[in-house]
Amino acid sequence: MADVLEIEGLTAGYGPLRVLHDISFRVAEGERVGLVGLNGHGKTTLFRAISALVGWQSGSIRLLGAEIGGARSTGPGRKTPGIVRAGLAMAPQGDAIFPGLTVAQHLDCGAYTPLAWKERKRRREMVFDIFPPLRKLEHALVGRLSGGERRMVSVGRALMVEARLYLIDEPSLGLAPKISASVIEALFSLPQDGRAIVIAEQNVALLSGRVDRMVGMHAGRLRGDVGHVSLH
Amino acid sequence: MTEKRFYRIGSRPAEIMLPVRGDVPLARRRLPFTRRHLLKWRSRLNPKTLRQERWLADKKPLWWTIALVLLAVSAPFLSNSALTVASIFCIFTAINLLWTLIIGTAGIFSLATLAVVGIGAYASAALNVYLGLPWPLMFLAGGVAGLIVGGFLALPSTRLDGLYYALLTMGFAEICRVFVQQLKPLTPMNGSINNVGSFIPRDWFLQRPGLLLGFAGAFVLMLLALLTFRIVNSERLGMLLQTAREDEAFAEAVGIDYRRARLHVFLISSAGLGVIGAFYAQFYGSISPAVFSLDQLMLLFAMIVIGGLGRAEGAAIGTAIVVLIDKGLLDLGPLRILLVAAIMLAVTLLTHNGLAGARNQFRGWRQRRQSEARARRSEKGGEVMPEEAIEIEDKQAIYYRRFQKRLRDRLKALITPELIEEHRKRPLGQHSDALSRVLNHFRRGEVADKYAILRQSGQFHAYKIVAFSGVRGAPPRLVDDRVYTDINEAYHAVFLLRVNDLMES
Amino acid sequence: MDLSVTLVHGLSLAAIYGLMAIGISLLWSSIGMINMAHGASFAVAGYAAWAASEAAKPLFLAAFGKTIAGTAAMAGLTLGTGALAGAMMGALIYLLAFLPIHDKPNFPVRSLIVTLALNLATVQVLLWWFGPRQKNLPKIFGTGKVEVLGISARYDQIGTIAATFLILGLVLLWLRVSRKGLEIRAMMQNPEGAVLSGISVRWTALPVTMLTGALAGLAAILLSQTIFVSPTSGAMPLIKGLTIALLGGLGSVPGAVLGAIIIGFLEAVIGAIPFLGQRYVLFGTFLFIIVVLILRPRGLGGLLDEARK
Repeated sequence: MADVLEIEGLTAGYGPLRVLHDISFRVAEGERVGLVGLNGHGKTTLFRAISALVGWQSGSIRLLGAEIGGARSTGPGRKTPGIVRAGLAMAPQGDAIFPGLTVAQHLDCGAYTPLAWKERKRRREMVFDIFPPLRKLEHALVGRLSGGERRMVSVGRALMVEARLYLIDEPSLGLAPKISASVIEALFSLPQDGRAIVIAEQNVALLSGRVDRMVGMHAGRLRGDVGHVSLH
Repeated sequence: MTEKRFYRIGSRPAEIMLPVRGDVPLARRRLPFTRRHLLKWRSRLNPKTLRQERWLADKKPLWWTIALVLLAVSAPFLSNSALTVASIFCIFTAINLLWTLIIGTAGIFSLATLAVVGIGAYASAALNVYLGLPWPLMFLAGGVAGLIVGGFLALPSTRLDGLYYALLTMGFAEICRVFVQQLKPLTPMNGSINNVGSFIPRDWFLQRPGLLLGFAGAFVLMLLALLTFRIVNSERLGMLLQTAREDEAFAEAVGIDYRRARLHVFLISSAGLGVIGAFYAQFYGSISPAVFSLDQLMLLFAMIVIGGLGRAEGAAIGTAIVVLIDKGLLDLGPLRILLVAAIMLAVTLLTHNGLAGARNQFRGWRQRRQSEARARRSEKGGEVMPEEAIEIEDKQAIYYRRFQKRLRDRLKALITPELIEEHRKRPLGQHSDALSRVLNHFRRGEVADKYAILRQSGQFHAYKIVAFSGVRGAPPRLVDDRVYTDINEAYHAVFLLRVNDLMES
Repeated sequence: MDLSVTLVHGLSLAAIYGLMAIGISLLWSSIGMINMAHGASFAVAGYAAWAASEAAKPLFLAAFGKTIAGTAAMAGLTLGTGALAGAMMGALIYLLAFLPIHDKPNFPVRSLIVTLALNLATVQVLLWWFGPRQKNLPKIFGTGKVEVLGISARYDQIGTIAATFLILGLVLLWLRVSRKGLEIRAMMQNPEGAVLSGISVRWTALPVTMLTGALAGLAAILLSQTIFVSPTSGAMPLIKGLTIALLGGLGSVPGAVLGAIIIGFLEAVIGAIPFLGQRYVLFGTFLFIIVVLILRPRGLGGLLDEARK
């Protein structure tokens, strides 16, 4: 199978701080990868580097064979819309969402790329099928939702677009165990037709047995294929 | 063919350094009645030349003195028009310094500066013209008027957000203008008060001596404003507000009443502006409603924007540029405003905070680029992190730690199960080359890294392992409770601990 | 003075101020910029419309004569030119005050200063190019009066009110339902989230600045039915628009509409009271706004916009 994402020698950081060290990482088509590691070891930075949101980075990142990495000279975030249009969907950590929009508008934002916009109604239904509690909140303001519902909206927004690679950052962060389990459950109920998912998690137990492989992350380096990685 | 110059190692020719004489005690003069020093002298040991040297850590007072002395000395040689421009520069610098206090130090975005000046001017001029107040008391009257208006304006300042407050103060200026123009007694003069008494004798007006006296007055005014700025901005009030600027909630939590401090700064500045108003009326001998106009305010705003908010140099530089263009190049006509606007545009687009902040901005940019580049090159787990290296004075330490790191990397590669097995079999005696190297490294280590074997008292062949604290007086601590009955076993256990430490590092 | 005349006058003032204030408010809420060059857009649009109408006058006279069609063509031309010139100014503001500094520190303050400088420069350029003489725009709604329900109003007042309601209605509807509107609202709430949705901040800001510029241009044409076009004619509408936008609570469109209506009527009433008169209009409005702001530090918007947290 072809690789959706190929990262070679990625180094990234913020200002004088170097967070990622020479990372090489591949995700095959349709693969489900769990990225595990403790807080502050670079999971989020890796995701942000892939979507060109970090301070500086060097090394090669190829999405579907097209180079999106390299040493950037533009400010963070300038290349992101282009990368999203090229087939990346990312649900950021926490509630990086629009509090003043309704759930439906919020989901429409996810389907912003021209192709997805045409079939946003259908995709909205699909997200409602994955996260049933959202259906009756369709016209509620996102700012008024509970933490779990917000996370569902945040993840649902990323699922609105027909991307080839989904990056889901800490879907369980700050949620009650039961709710986080249901969010993860819903994520894995997605049909697995060629879309690759990478989920960053601290809680290995939530992912074990559900993903194709698990990759550990420690001090800004990947620790290979470590299904057995022990978290101390 | 110029001869190439060589400098002594460790000398920095661009920096002015004074030698320190070891036989003379360091005399640090203080300003009378305070604990302040006039200049910020610092001394340190140059690690390369191994000499003590002194240098001026803050050279700004030097530049200020040079500039002010130049201005004062050159004034008598200026033409009449240039002298007027210089006087106006001094007055506006004084206004801008106090405004900088309000906006920069207190963080209150007030646009009523000229309104306060105008009210001070009108109040003192009216008292002088209609009630016969002698001119020296006009300053007092202006100050009191400014204080009252400042108190009135300060009331909503803590309640309103920046922009809202700016609008409110702008509205206040407009109200003042309309009010003055509508005043019945002033209607014949179109709202202005003329023939105001002055420190310049009447028959000297617009004559050479009058102009010189006017400049002298304006210069003294500017010096007083500078003094006020210095005292308010860098003493107690300024320090309190500095903490509030960093983090308001934190400042409040440690008991700093920053709102009160802001009000104080605002009131002090307003009183000062009132005094400047009285001076303004005396300098021109009249006061007109134009002082409240929006155009004047825009020009003033351009001055502090070009110079940079919050710093005395900024206020002076910006005022110099704008006054030179606006009053010095009169024959350019309307192009002057265009020029001012263009400078304002360029300065704002290129700098974060005016011309006075350009140097810091450049340094920050260079430092960021350097540290980014260093972070790209150097690897974490290397001994000195790049951000740390900037702060380490003795660069030898960096290289020493880098060497240690490489050494450890080499030794880590040597450690194999066979090597450990070899040590277990024979902790003492002749060893293979690899094991000797590792053991030598361990022996050379610092005390804090070392372990010792403690024989249990009263028992024969019972050992525990302790770790040294590395601090005099602090006893070693037990590593664990395990008791070894064979000394060789204990040797090997220590070896394993050291190997473990090495691999972890 | 008749109450109904005051009413119509107030409403027409409110319409024009509303156009200005909503432009300012919209720009603040979407890209976080206080546009001090809004007055410059206003003045430039006025001059562009004047130049176009001067150039086209003989042509239209030859083609239509003095007929309704001629007036309509002229109206279309001036409104179109005004909106276009305003939009071009908006693009210029985007290029100078947004694009170079939008991801740099201190953006709100710096963009305010840049637009202020732009405003100064534009006024000077207009003064230099066209001279200080005031220009007169053609009466696009014709001249005359009409009685509706016992209230008499001039054509231009009715035209202004109707045109404003139409324009504002269209703009607000467009913002509410279209994809671009969603994009703008997403960007104003969370730029990073917007970027992750594939919305480019740089390309979303351009239509917003152009749209608000066009609104200023239309306001210029409508207001120029009663006053003349001059280099500094933008200053007063800018101040009015800014104060109304602040009164309404910056960024709140309903607040701006309400503020415009209140201020419009207040001005009409103050102007109509015999012993106060036109000279006290600005005085009165500022006093009113100061009182409101002291009572409600965040303007009227806080009352209306419950969505904001």
